[in-house]
Amino acid sequence: MNWKKSARVLTLAAAATVTTGLNAQNVDSAMLKNPPRDSWLGYHGDYSGRRHSALTEINTRNVSGLSLGWAFQTQQNGVLKATPILADGILYFTLPDHVWAIDARSGHQLWHYAAPPTKAFHIGQRGVSILKDKLYYMTSDAHLQALDAKTGNVLWDVEVADSKKGQWATMSPLIVGNHVLVGASGDFDNLQGFLRAVDPDTGKTQWTFYSTPTVDTPRVAYSGNMWMTGTYDPELNLIYFGTGNPSPVLNGKVRPGDNLYTCTILALDPETGKLVWHFQPSPHDTHDWDAVEIPVLADGLFDGKPRKMLMQASRNGYFFVIDRTNGKNMLTTTFGPVNWTKGVDKDGRPIPNPDKEPAPDGRLIAPDEGGMTNYRSPSFDPKTGLFIVSASPSYSLYFNKPADGAYGWAGADYGLWSKGVLDAIDYKTGKIRWSHELGQRAGSGVLTTEGGLTFTGDATGNFLALDTATGKTLWHAGAGGQIASSPISYELDGHQYILTSGGNVMFAWRLPEAPAAPAAKRTPTAATTK
Amino acid sequence: MRLRSRNILLAAAVAAPVMLFTFSRMTAQAPQTPGQRPTPAQRPSWTVGSQGPLPEHAKFTPLQAESGGALFIQNCAFCHGKDAGGGETGPDLTRSKLVTGDKNGEAIGAVIRNGRLDKGMPRFSLSDTEILNLVAFIHTQQDASMSQSGNRRGVDESDLHTGNADAGKKYFEGPGGCTQCHSATGDLAGIASKFSGLRLEMQMLYPRDAKTKATVKTKSGQTFAGTVEYEDEFTLGIRDSSGIYHSWPMTAITAKLDKPVEAHVTAMSKYTDDDIHNVLAYIQTLK
Repeated sequence: MNWKKSARVLTLAAAATVTTGLNAQNVDSAMLKNPPRDSWLGYHGDYSGRRHSALTEINTRNVSGLSLGWAFQTQQNGVLKATPILADGILYFTLPDHVWAIDARSGHQLWHYAAPPTKAFHIGQRGVSILKDKLYYMTSDAHLQALDAKTGNVLWDVEVADSKKGQWATMSPLIVGNHVLVGASGDFDNLQGFLRAVDPDTGKTQWTFYSTPTVDTPRVAYSGNMWMTGTYDPELNLIYFGTGNPSPVLNGKVRPGDNLYTCTILALDPETGKLVWHFQPSPHDTHDWDAVEIPVLADGLFDGKPRKMLMQASRNGYFFVIDRTNGKNMLTTTFGPVNWTKGVDKDGRPIPNPDKEPAPDGRLIAPDEGGMTNYRSPSFDPKTGLFIVSASPSYSLYFNKPADGAYGWAGADYGLWSKGVLDAIDYKTGKIRWSHELGQRAGSGVLTTEGGLTFTGDATGNFLALDTATGKTLWHAGAGGQIASSPISYELDGHQYILTSGGNVMFAWRLPEAPAAPAAKRTPTAATTK
Repeated sequence: MRLRSRNILLAAAVAAPVMLFTFSRMTAQAPQTPGQRPTPAQRPSWTVGSQGPLPEHAKFTPLQAESGGALFIQNCAFCHGKDAGGGETGPDLTRSKLVTGDKNGEAIGAVIRNGRLDKGMPRFSLSDTEILNLVAFIHTQQDASMSQSGNRRGVDESDLHTGNADAGKKYFEGPGGCTQCHSATGDLAGIASKFSGLRLEMQMLYPRDAKTKATVKTKSGQTFAGTVEYEDEFTLGIRDSSGIYHSWPMTAITAKLDKPVEAHVTAMSKYTDDDIHNVLAYIQTLK
């Protein structure tokens, strides 16, 4: 660590205010592989990315009685996009430049770390990760910091990407074994996307996988940034990450071909970073459709045979089921209006239609640049076999002309119309079994539970609990703000909690305590008798 | 990498080192000489597009623009581009009529404070000084971009002149089904004088401002009519012709909604790009 980094750590440590001590955290690899019911240890809760809780106390019969346990006001501008993590009764969550530790029983603050603001984009922060007694937090200017889970003090700080060149960070790191896996965002500039494994104790780089050739290589795509938390199969010992779109973003003429490994699902060996297989949802993307959406892992019957699957509802409007042992496609289908392809090739990849590349006089494209879905987490319910995703059917106009050049965005696009709908996709057929309208466009992720419930938020700030089997609303409550995070669930003191965010407030929901036995009737006294 | 919904954390203004905004996107552009702003007559017409003469802005200090630049990067650049030239979900501010017409932040400031919630832009709670610094930066960027030649991003009106007006008229009156709701001599008379260029095209494809109308019958038998102000799964709110707002739980009413824009959404799945350019060429004749 050079003196500059040390100085940064000292400054940051001073910014954390400790109001109380905590028990030692003891999250190890075994716990991460098999998280206890009273925890939510990483961005997805477990490694599979299914966001399916095994808890059943809150269920279709009693959810109508759900009531507020507590609300935590961050007192900051901004909208919570983070997934809180829970370990040893302590919740940790973030906004850009802010990390909180709060008591999961009461919502009381334990500490708050206010990082020095940086000049990078402050578009969002998705949360911290935990291993043993350390939290791992990515600053908006793409540094990885290790925080003391007990105090919020900064233990070390390493630069993951150079924000001066145009990269920034929002992601919650994925922890696998002795590796903290991180990437960075940034396609306003022609940059080389990557995934990096960092030593959890020292911050030292272990390996780096680059999505594209170096940025001085002519006639190739750059970027392919990895900015969402991937998933992990401990049995196959493979990590799965989706990569972002290529740059120059809307100008595809200067980067002919498929543009590997942009808009690609990668299976990598976590020990070495070596590529094991890849599948590309958007070959030669010219519409900004990162394929970083959660690669959800599930086992189940497909065509009557037990299969190890990876599923992605991709930003480009396609839903994929892939054999996660070898990357072979099992099913490709759309889950909303899509007009940019000429069909699907023999390997299950969409075939881009050259007539739907951005053009000087504009092209009408579905979906729009925000995509049919985005960073919001989907959920997979094994009981019903439904992959439930917050989707945005949409249309926009895309422009590109020679004068737009070959750097960064390199064109222009304008959204025309979009709406929000929760789609329940049957993974075996790709058919949508039910759709639930969410208003203009929603931003919330999805949680399913073994109690038969689906939790999400609509576009106007209503928390919703739906019957997973039918999509019917069973409970709702107003959040008073935009719901941009994905709900989680855990058990504390034998009771199930649902955590949702609305605006900059975190809400904890639970069933009310059983009513106390009615007090014995007192004999009226003369003084109280009229 | 674009996120449709924006979460923007407003941190305190950071004193920025000198930011000249020589971002690489601009490196391919013609060099500018600081302090020398060409007169409108000197600007090559193909770069000016429909922007008109150079705007007249209030004078701002370089320090204000620098400070505004730092705020812009944190809060605005993700949607509007680092150089305010657009590229995200947010439009090119250097070509914005609102920015052009703004002298001292009165128009830009209102947008920053109130947001444009219907278009996904949140409200920003910034101090007056911070807003003025942002305004200084945006004006500086507009001046810089309007002064340069070549390599401009964005859409000029001339880019959109690829359609055939006769074919567009045929589509409008025939398979497009447009005449079921519209008339060239009625509601659309003079539409091309009201809107032009990309604005006209977007209005044609999806008239964002078209209000949904509702007729509501309550359980007690009362009837209300008005434009829909709020609608979700649980609540309907309308404003009646006298401006009074009424709202009901959905369970307490029966409501008939008239959504004129739905026909436009349906049309989006039917149009070819040629149809769009042709109809636009036809609409452009309705002056």
